[in-house]
Amino acid sequence: MTPQKAFDEYHQAVYSFAYRLTGQPEVAEDITQECFLVLVRDPKRYDPAKGTIKVYLFSIARNLALKQYRDQRDEQPVEDLEETLVIDPRGPLDVSAAVATAVTSLPPLQREALILFEYEGVTLEEIAQIVGTDIGTVKSRLHRARQRLRRILVAYRKVGNTHGAL
Amino acid sequence: MEHFEQHDRFENEELSDRELDSILPEWKSPVTPQRLCAAVFPQAPVSWWRTLWSTSIRVPFPVACGLALVLAFVFWRWGTPPPPRVVIQHDRVEVPVVKQEVVTRTVYRDRIVHVPPAASRFNASELQPVVELRPRIIRRQNDQN
Repeated sequence: MTPQKAFDEYHQAVYSFAYRLTGQPEVAEDITQECFLVLVRDPKRYDPAKGTIKVYLFSIARNLALKQYRDQRDEQPVEDLEETLVIDPRGPLDVSAAVATAVTSLPPLQREALILFEYEGVTLEEIAQIVGTDIGTVKSRLHRARQRLRRILVAYRKVGNTHGAL
Repeated sequence: MEHFEQHDRFENEELSDRELDSILPEWKSPVTPQRLCAAVFPQAPVSWWRTLWSTSIRVPFPVACGLALVLAFVFWRWGTPPPPRVVIQHDRVEVPVVKQEVVTRTVYRDRIVHVPPAASRFNASELQPVVELRPRIIRRQNDQN
């Protein structure tokens, strides 16, 4: 697959992934650009034996986002980051912003697993390849991320019979 | 706009998986900026045929009309069948020629022409001396003479 074709097919997915990881459109744009520049400058670095081009691109984007995150957080270990998020249920009723805030508040490793699985439709096996771990760890991170989100977003439970009202 | 209810009275509650799955897609990602492609492929090489295909030139209207007429004439000329060609072949043919002598002598119808006898037409100028004399004796007894 040529870099141009890979860009046409995956640039939106990579950008969305980077945007949801960082929460900043400008940073996401930089990460996406850098991600595809790596592919354009040195296409031979991509080894099909190690995974699909999609996995390769998400891996680059993930590493760039983590680097950017570490630069912001200095030397704080990403595994130990457990931010406490309080969403005021009496605030404006903006579910999109609430979900964005809740997801962004997750620890980076849980966040990336959740974003890849829930938003980008990446399989567990591919997530394991992207983050460089095993499927069990990915499942564990996903479980913890969803459990945390269930608590954070409880204030935005949808009213009606469709999704089960209180 | 979907309606959501704020629940601050159930602090220890959690969303179900179905509820969480229905809420998560509410967070939409913005569309990729258009400038991203130009940033990644700043000088993307364009194939020559695509350049050729998209290249255009400005031609003044009269010139375009003239070119169209010329092209129409050329196509018309090629379209009509050419007239049959006249082939001139040069062959050498021998023709027998009969020579006729033209007599320009005046002949009178009523005039009697007296042709002189051959003896009277003797001309002494025809006599010429011999170059070598060879006398021959003819005997009387020779019956052949």
